[in-house]
Amino acid sequence: MITQSIRESGGHQPPEPGAVIEARGLTMRYGSTVTALDDLTVSVEPGITGLIGANGAGKSTLIKILLGLLGPTTGTASVFGHDCVTDGFVIRTLSGYMPEHDCLPPDVTATELVTHLGRMSGLPATAARERAADSLRHVGLYEERYRQIGTYSTGMKQRVKLAQALVGDPRLLLLDEPTNGLDPAGRIAMLELIARIGAEFGISILVASHLLGEIEQVCDHLVAIDAGRLLRADSIRSMTQASSVLVVEVDEGLELLQADLSRRGLNPLPYQRGLLVQLAGDATYDTVRDAVADLGLPLSRMEQRRHRIEELFRADPAEQAGQTTGAASVS
Amino acid sequence: MSADASAAAGRLAAPTVDSGGVIHNIGYRRYDAARLGRAQIVRALIWHSFRAAFGIGRGAKAKIFPILLFVLMCLPAAVNAIGLALNPGSQPAVTYDGYTPQLRVVAMLIFVALEAPNLVSSDLRNHTLPLYFARPISRLDYPVAKLVAFLLACLAMIEIPLLLLYLGTATQVHGASQVWEQTLQLGPGLLYGAAWAVLLPSIGLLLASMTGKRVFAICAIGIPLFFSYILANVLAHIGEQAFGPAGFGQPSTLTSLAGLISPFTLLGGVLRWLQKAPAPGGPPVREVMQTTVGNYGALYGAVFLILTVAAIAGLVARYRKVGVA
Repeated sequence: MITQSIRESGGHQPPEPGAVIEARGLTMRYGSTVTALDDLTVSVEPGITGLIGANGAGKSTLIKILLGLLGPTTGTASVFGHDCVTDGFVIRTLSGYMPEHDCLPPDVTATELVTHLGRMSGLPATAARERAADSLRHVGLYEERYRQIGTYSTGMKQRVKLAQALVGDPRLLLLDEPTNGLDPAGRIAMLELIARIGAEFGISILVASHLLGEIEQVCDHLVAIDAGRLLRADSIRSMTQASSVLVVEVDEGLELLQADLSRRGLNPLPYQRGLLVQLAGDATYDTVRDAVADLGLPLSRMEQRRHRIEELFRADPAEQAGQTTGAASVS
Repeated sequence: MSADASAAAGRLAAPTVDSGGVIHNIGYRRYDAARLGRAQIVRALIWHSFRAAFGIGRGAKAKIFPILLFVLMCLPAAVNAIGLALNPGSQPAVTYDGYTPQLRVVAMLIFVALEAPNLVSSDLRNHTLPLYFARPISRLDYPVAKLVAFLLACLAMIEIPLLLLYLGTATQVHGASQVWEQTLQLGPGLLYGAAWAVLLPSIGLLLASMTGKRVFAICAIGIPLFFSYILANVLAHIGEQAFGPAGFGQPSTLTSLAGLISPFTLLGGVLRWLQKAPAPGGPPVREVMQTTVGNYGALYGAVFLILTVAAIAGLVARYRKVGVA
C-alpha cells in the first residue's frame, strides 16, 4: 500500500515545481507552558532551504512534525502534498533525517549500520548494501567504513549521520544542525557536501542551523523563525541583497573620504580601519570609485559583505551598520 | 532543473577537491525499484535482532556467551544420545518436559540477562531510536519486532535441544510405536518450552528497556530473576519443613504458593498444573522446578498469563513514551 502511494505521488522523479513543505497555522505546545511553535505558516520550495533560528526557536520541533513523529497542537503541515499527521509513513519513505545529537552505536561498522538502516528505509537486502556503499562514498568515507564507528572523529560521525539519511534515496533531506561540533575545516567540508547533494543529486534539503553565516553559503532560500514564529521567508538573494553593505578601506585620508562620500549622499560609517557604505546597486560602486579617484587616495579594499542573522531582521540600515561596527554612537 | 543537475552529475567523473579530502564524483544513482512495505521492514528488523541476540553481526566477543550457552543447553541431549547408543534398550536419561531444569534455569537466566540489553538498551544509550522512528515504521513496530526476535531466540535456545533429544532418542528406539510414543511426549515438552520463550523475553526486554546502561540492565534482569528463584525454593522448603512434607494429603499453603515468586518456578507450576496429578498414594513429588502447586494450579496459570501480558504491555507503553531525540 505504501509502495503504491509512493509511485502514485511521482516516486523518484525530480522534484516537481511547487512547495516541498507547507505549514499552515502550525502550533505546538508541550503542556500548558512551553510553546515550541506559534501559528507558523510557511512554504518551502524545492532546492536547499536554510531553517534558521536561535537554539530553542522551534527548528527541531518543526522537523519532527514534518516527519510525523509529533502531532501538532493545531494547524496542518504537509510534505510533497502528504499530510504529516495521517501520511507519516509515506513522508518518512520520501525523507531522510539527520538528527542533531549523537545517534550512532559505537560498536558496529559504518557499513553495517547504514546497510541496516537502508533496510529499515524499505530497501531489499542487496539494494541496501549497494546504496550503503554508495552513500558512504558520497559523504567521503572509504576504507574507514569497515571500522567501528566508536573509533571515528566527530567529522566522520557527522558524515555517517548524513549517509544514513541519504541511503534510502530520499527526495527530501531534513538536516538538523549538520555542522554541530565540527571544526572550521569540517564545517566547510560538510557545507560543500550539502551543496553538492542539493545541486547534483536533485534532492531538496531543509537545513536547520543557528548560524546564518554558514548556511547562507549553500542555501537558495531562507526561513527564519524565532520563538516558534516566522520572522521571514525569502530567497537568499533578496534577503542579502537588500541588506548588503560595501566595506571601503584606504591607506590614508579616511576622514577626507568620509566627508566626501557624505557630500555625495552615501552616509558612510566608520568600520574598523575603513568605511561602511550601504549598497544600493552598481551606482554605489561608481560613486565610491569617483570619490577615491577625485581625492587621489590609495584604495586598498572594496568588498561587499553580508550581515549576521540578527542584523538581517532589523529594519534600520543605519542601526545594522552600527551593530556591525560595534560602535555605540552612530551620528 | 534538478534533472539536468543529476544528469550532469552522472556525466562528470572528475574528482572534486574539498578541504576535508578528495571526494570522487561518482554520480548519484537513484533507487527506482519497488520498496518493502511496513510488514517486510518489521520482518527485516526481527531477523536483524534475532541474529544480534546470538552475537551475529556484532563482533567475535559478542558471540562467546550465546554460543557457549547454546552448546550447554544441547549437552544433555548429546549425553542422552550417546548413552542410548552405548546401552541399547535403556530408558532415555532426560525427559522432554523436565529437560535438565536447573541447567535450563541457569542458562536461560544468563542468556536473557546478557542479550536483552543488547537488543534494546544499546539503542536507548546511543539515542539510535530517532533513526528508526524517522523511517517508515510505526512507534510500536520497534518494540514488537524486538520482542518477537527475542522470543524466537529464546525458542531456539530451548526447543532446538529438545528436538536434538528427540532425534537422538527416536533413532535409537525400535519400532514405529516407540517413535510415535516419543513424538507424543515431545509435544508437551515443546509447548512447555514455548511458555518459557514467551514469559522470559517479555520480562527481560521490559527490564532492559528501563535503562540505557548495559551493566545496569544486566543487573536489573539478572538479580531479580536469580534471587526470586532462590527465594521461591527456600520458601517452598520452609513450607515443607514447618508444615510437614507434601504427600501426606495436601502440601502446605506456603509451599504451594512459594513458586509464584519466581518466573522459573511459576513456569514449573504451570507445567505441574497442566500435568496429570500424581497417583494417589504414590511417592511424594517435588522435584526441583516441578513446583508444588497443591490446589492452586489454576492460580499459576492465571499469574503466568497476567505476568506475560503485563510485561508486554509495559514494554509497549515504554516505547510509546520514549523521546524521539
